[in-house]
Amino acid sequence: MGIDMRFGQWFLIAFLFGLASMPARADFEVFACEPEWTSLVREFMPDARFTTATSYLQDPHYIEARPSLIAAMRRADIAVCTGASLEAGWLPTLLQRAGNPKIQSGRPGLFFAADHARLHAPHEHVDRSMGDVHPEGNPHVHLSPDQLPRIAEALADRLGELRPDAATDIQARYIKWRVRWNNHRAEWQEKAKGLQGQAVVIQHTSFGYLLRWLGVEATIDLEPKPGLPPSASHLSELLSEPGLDAAGAILIASHQDRQPAEWLAKRTGKPVLVFPGTVTDEAPTETLAGLITTIVNGLEETMAGASYGSL
Amino acid sequence: MVYRVLPFVLIPLIGINTGVAANELNPDVSVTLDGYYKQNDTALSHREKGFGLGHTELSLSSPIDDLFSGRLTAVFEEHDGESEVLIEEAYLQTNGLPAGLGVRAGRFLSQVGYLNGRHMHEDDFVERPAVYRALLGSHYYDTGVRLNAVLPTPFFWQVGAEAFNGNQLSEGDEDIGVYTLNTRVGGDLSVSQSWQAGLSWLRNRQVSAEDDEGEHDHDHEGGHDHSHGASYTGENLYVADAVWKWSPNGNTREQQITLSGEYLYADELNEFATSDDVHEGWYVSGVYQFAPQWSAGVRYGEVDLREPHGDHFHSQSLEETDVMLSWSRSHFSTLRLQYTHQSATGFSKADNTVMVQYVMSLGAHGAHGY
Repeated sequence: MGIDMRFGQWFLIAFLFGLASMPARADFEVFACEPEWTSLVREFMPDARFTTATSYLQDPHYIEARPSLIAAMRRADIAVCTGASLEAGWLPTLLQRAGNPKIQSGRPGLFFAADHARLHAPHEHVDRSMGDVHPEGNPHVHLSPDQLPRIAEALADRLGELRPDAATDIQARYIKWRVRWNNHRAEWQEKAKGLQGQAVVIQHTSFGYLLRWLGVEATIDLEPKPGLPPSASHLSELLSEPGLDAAGAILIASHQDRQPAEWLAKRTGKPVLVFPGTVTDEAPTETLAGLITTIVNGLEETMAGASYGSL
Repeated sequence: MVYRVLPFVLIPLIGINTGVAANELNPDVSVTLDGYYKQNDTALSHREKGFGLGHTELSLSSPIDDLFSGRLTAVFEEHDGESEVLIEEAYLQTNGLPAGLGVRAGRFLSQVGYLNGRHMHEDDFVERPAVYRALLGSHYYDTGVRLNAVLPTPFFWQVGAEAFNGNQLSEGDEDIGVYTLNTRVGGDLSVSQSWQAGLSWLRNRQVSAEDDEGEHDHDHEGGHDHSHGASYTGENLYVADAVWKWSPNGNTREQQITLSGEYLYADELNEFATSDDVHEGWYVSGVYQFAPQWSAGVRYGEVDLREPHGDHFHSQSLEETDVMLSWSRSHFSTLRLQYTHQSATGFSKADNTVMVQYVMSLGAHGAHGY
């Protein structure tokens, strides 16, 4: 039985040491899978402590369940993620390894934005020959001017449910955010008039919701199949694509390799626009509204000008 | 005004969504196909030369309810023309017990070391390092129970214990033939770099009870009668492991470097063993994923073994260098070309070989660990 004793002691020492090294806990620990959700929760609960699993320079499909994220998940009071299988490659491992009862699936501490939005292009039939297609629909919903308020409302409700003492404050902040968002949306709508009917070449559907909302067509994709990196053969095929002439720009996200877009730009003379796929650490793209404004302005400068010129 | 019409267009699609939801009640099914061609036989290998099937897996997994989830993994293997079906995993796992505790019970891969707890199809090389093949049978799994705790520290710190039947490592009569203790720490050094280190101890209580079946069998290697257990055991096995990963801005999609290494040490080999009779081995591996679909890697490893022969031991040692290049069309398919160089003392089959391997994953693809 000496062994059992040894284990017991060792375990106890490990536990005590662990507890002693625990920092003073902030009131509310938020684990966000993507930075857009950090930014949104911060609007409603500015004093919470945040861990963000990914940045705008990372492809959120391909994150590793690395040790620091397990530790953060272990501490979290709420985990806010996109859902719709975007994080299928790493979130289940994190949830299982962290073993935090508050944020297991089905409990209020696990919030999936996609559950509160109407996703574009859900598929009844999906197989892998189609590429990395999400049966639930396009998960990159955070840049949708119409869908985001629904998500924000559900998120504010959920935060209030988890922190009843702060619920009134959270609601008040949500209402202020909503008013500002509606004002921004009116501005974007105004700018969209100049973009309506234009087209861009894209790489993956990261900006899909915003482009649809703006009325910008995005049918030519540098990716041969969703989730596959652009290949040389696919890029040369694109050169003979009939819709290519109509495209006013090539739009890619900061985390994507620029070479394919630049290759196409060199051969077609079309400008390459690189925008963060999500919020960054610096103004003006540190909030979702700021990011959408930046993208809309960028598109307008590049494309609306070009079409006026041709008039 | 596309966005005004859109909600109405989507109404029929919402109906479709409920169909997807019902389908989610079925367990996730995943199949891993692993096939290879190997030019020559090599020492301590579980893969014979020529065309062959490697670790072909069928796996079912699902949440059971809000507290439990479960997994069943069957492995199909062929040895000397005979097909076998092995149950490699059949376990329940708790989700979200209080205090960061997690319990796993049934049959599962032991968490000793870095590689052992991982599925073989996640590996970067065709076979595990020589020291793993000798001391753990490539991957040690058994029937038992595990208790893990993730401590509430600012960095990652996990402690865990496992108790196993032990018969997958050495045959014996003990109820608890093997138990293990394990601790693991890790964190981020910067946005681009992360690390993990672990220490494990595996106690095998059935070593001395095992018959010296290999007593007069001097060809105590590859094509072994007990192909899945470890060929070399000791009462104590200690493992130290470390992993460091780097990708520019943490974007593992585009590029990643993974350096890993492990050291294994086993002593108390049997009742005749002196303090000098130990098994010992290590490896270091570096893999560079230089484009989303391409990886290249080098691995070097050594193992020094003491093969029991009645009341004395014969020394064996093996040095192995592997170089590999792999291409993944998507996240679900990998083709690999590998060259292995072996130089050995006490092994008759040691040789150099070229291997070509495919690893294909069909159906649900479980999330990978670190």
